[in-house]
Amino acid sequence: MNKLKLNYTSISFIPILVCIPLGYQLINNLHFGGFNLFQEFLISAINPKIENEIIFTVINRLNETFLIGYFSWLVSIIFGVIFGILSSNIFYKIFNIPNFFYVLIKFFLTIIRSLHEGVWALVLMQLYGINFSTGIIAICIPSIAVNSKVFSEQLETIEYKSFESIKQIHPPKFSSLLTLIWNPIINTFKNFGLYRLECSIRSTVILGFFGLGGIGTSIFLSFQTLNFRELWTYLWSLAILIILPKVIFKKIKFNLLNKNLSLFLIAVFFITIIFSVSYFLYFIFNNNFGNFNFIISLFKSSSNLSFLDFLGIIMDTIILSLLSTGVAISLPPLVIGIFNNKTSKIIIKIFSFLLRLIPTPVILITLLTFNNPSLSLAALTLGLHNAAITTKLLFKNLDSQDKRNYIAMKSLGISKKTSWLLGLFSQQAKSYLAYCAYRSDIIIRETAIVGVIGGVGLGWQLQESLSSFAWKEITIVLIAYSSISIVGELINGKIKNSLT
Amino acid sequence: MNNTILELKNISHKYENNLALDKVNLKINSGDKIGLLGKSGSGKSTLISVLNGTIKPTQGEVKIYNKRFEELDRKRLSKITTIWQDLRLIEDLSAEQNVNCGLLAEKNFYFALKNLLNISSFKKAHKYMKLCNLKSSIYNKKIRKLSGGQKQRVAIARSLIQGSNILLADEPFNNLDPKLITKIKNLLLENADENETKLPRTILVALHRLDLLSNFDKVIGLKDGKIFFNIERTNLKKFHLDKIY
Repeated sequence: MNKLKLNYTSISFIPILVCIPLGYQLINNLHFGGFNLFQEFLISAINPKIENEIIFTVINRLNETFLIGYFSWLVSIIFGVIFGILSSNIFYKIFNIPNFFYVLIKFFLTIIRSLHEGVWALVLMQLYGINFSTGIIAICIPSIAVNSKVFSEQLETIEYKSFESIKQIHPPKFSSLLTLIWNPIINTFKNFGLYRLECSIRSTVILGFFGLGGIGTSIFLSFQTLNFRELWTYLWSLAILIILPKVIFKKIKFNLLNKNLSLFLIAVFFITIIFSVSYFLYFIFNNNFGNFNFIISLFKSSSNLSFLDFLGIIMDTIILSLLSTGVAISLPPLVIGIFNNKTSKIIIKIFSFLLRLIPTPVILITLLTFNNPSLSLAALTLGLHNAAITTKLLFKNLDSQDKRNYIAMKSLGISKKTSWLLGLFSQQAKSYLAYCAYRSDIIIRETAIVGVIGGVGLGWQLQESLSSFAWKEITIVLIAYSSISIVGELINGKIKNSLT
Repeated sequence: MNNTILELKNISHKYENNLALDKVNLKINSGDKIGLLGKSGSGKSTLISVLNGTIKPTQGEVKIYNKRFEELDRKRLSKITTIWQDLRLIEDLSAEQNVNCGLLAEKNFYFALKNLLNISSFKKAHKYMKLCNLKSSIYNKKIRKLSGGQKQRVAIARSLIQGSNILLADEPFNNLDPKLITKIKNLLLENADENETKLPRTILVALHRLDLLSNFDKVIGLKDGKIFFNIERTNLKKFHLDKIY
């Protein structure tokens, strides 16, 4: 019997095996109690409510969402650049600063990044109450750390030879730094900036589920009242909000050689820094200083969580991450490979768009209409949402790939599916897996959100502990959650490095 | 009067187990025009890197203007300029922006910012680019879009604009056609600029083409990291070359 040979292509499909335990538990938990609701939900997608009252609400809610998302994006991208520079080795080489500070700042940013914005929001809401500022700060904190990682990774690619050639001219140190980092930062911003705006808007929607306002709150309320037609009005309007900036930015060609535009962008850069730092300090120390009594509560409170319970919750979170990652990696190539024709391609693209558009809590609640809450259901939700994202990337890469091998194989009489697998996907498998390694970092962080809604893992425990102000328990949960994310990031980083 | 401006005392340099320079002693006087000969891997590039301070030798002492590198201020160090074999231009910047980078030592941070925003004056850069036979149509083109010869001349223009006294060049005539080689060589070695632009007076050029030696005063022969000869060019004989090739 032929043995299975492990290569990048086969590794891309092996994780689909997670569907066996996943499917088993889902079938056992199946019920038809909410089938009618699910049917109504689907039908409402093509029959959203369009009335004056709703339109006004949509405009107001979109306005709020866009403003929170936009400000979070602006602040996080600018501070992401600053921290990206501070966490890149080029900065330390130019200024001859000991490497200890480089390690320290990287470690600090890794911890900040390890907690999902939803977790930050839950904690900050408990401390400062529900308001827009809490939302913006909750999004900004992890986003700054995520952006700084992306920028610093780009700055690490600056060739040592370029650094040496500028150093040889012996310019002032800030001039050297600026000259070397300018293009990597501008290019990263061009390639990555718009995507991060989309991320900020999506995060705003998620935080809306926790009552922070915007379209997320409306989506959640309409779902709670089972008003599906209204829900779809909000979802479609959210789709417009996500797509519109992409269309606009595609039309506008930023010419950074334009003097006025450059000066305007520099002004925005510095005004944002001054404004956000001042506001952050005002927010922390002025009205809300009294809330810091949670530190005292931390020492007074006790934890009812036994060690075994806690271990169980951690295991649940790890399993949830693994199952979701398995679905997100293997489902896209499997589905695209099996249904390899033009019509299927369109259908897959529509489905993946919807799964990206609909926030994970809504997907989860929808699935709850015919399945009992379980770890598998949460994993399926997270897996499907992320599979939609990896599908988009895979389609994009496959579309831009040289198809000569595929055509040659088909002309030899090899089946369409095999030709696709060996002639197209096999060339993408390595880079696809590298992206999936990065994606699984995000999946680990997102377990908190589905955990809160689906009643599993550390996310759920955090929600429970927060509602009883058990600060000691909260701290333990946050440390555990952060540790899982950091270990996951380290493992995924190693995998990614071996693939690139 | 002692007019030695660069001095190497007993310099050795190792790359892991590979000895690139072996107890090299060298004095370069102001106004010297030196051709540095040697096979590939003989230590020419390492010697240039030691002279410009990029490489700290594993043994020995380097003195510039009778001082060690650490004792010199930034302005003084910028008086040595290098044309690298691999050019080391910033690919994403335009040709004129790259040439303007040569002015960074004498200008402030604001100039660096204006250069990147493309709003600084390129008058001086254009003057040096013209001197290197670069056409105005390529001034604002990105480096990645230029041919090998054009990139080579941009690198030369960037070095010359620094207004340094000492030029160290590692095979600067690569990628150039014979006509351009003559022009650039005359420019570097004879200060052949009719506009009397300030050009380096002391020059050390690593070469591997013997026919390019004509305008040099001195010739140094390197083999296996050792200096085999350091003589006036007019005294160069076949047996000298046989020693190193």
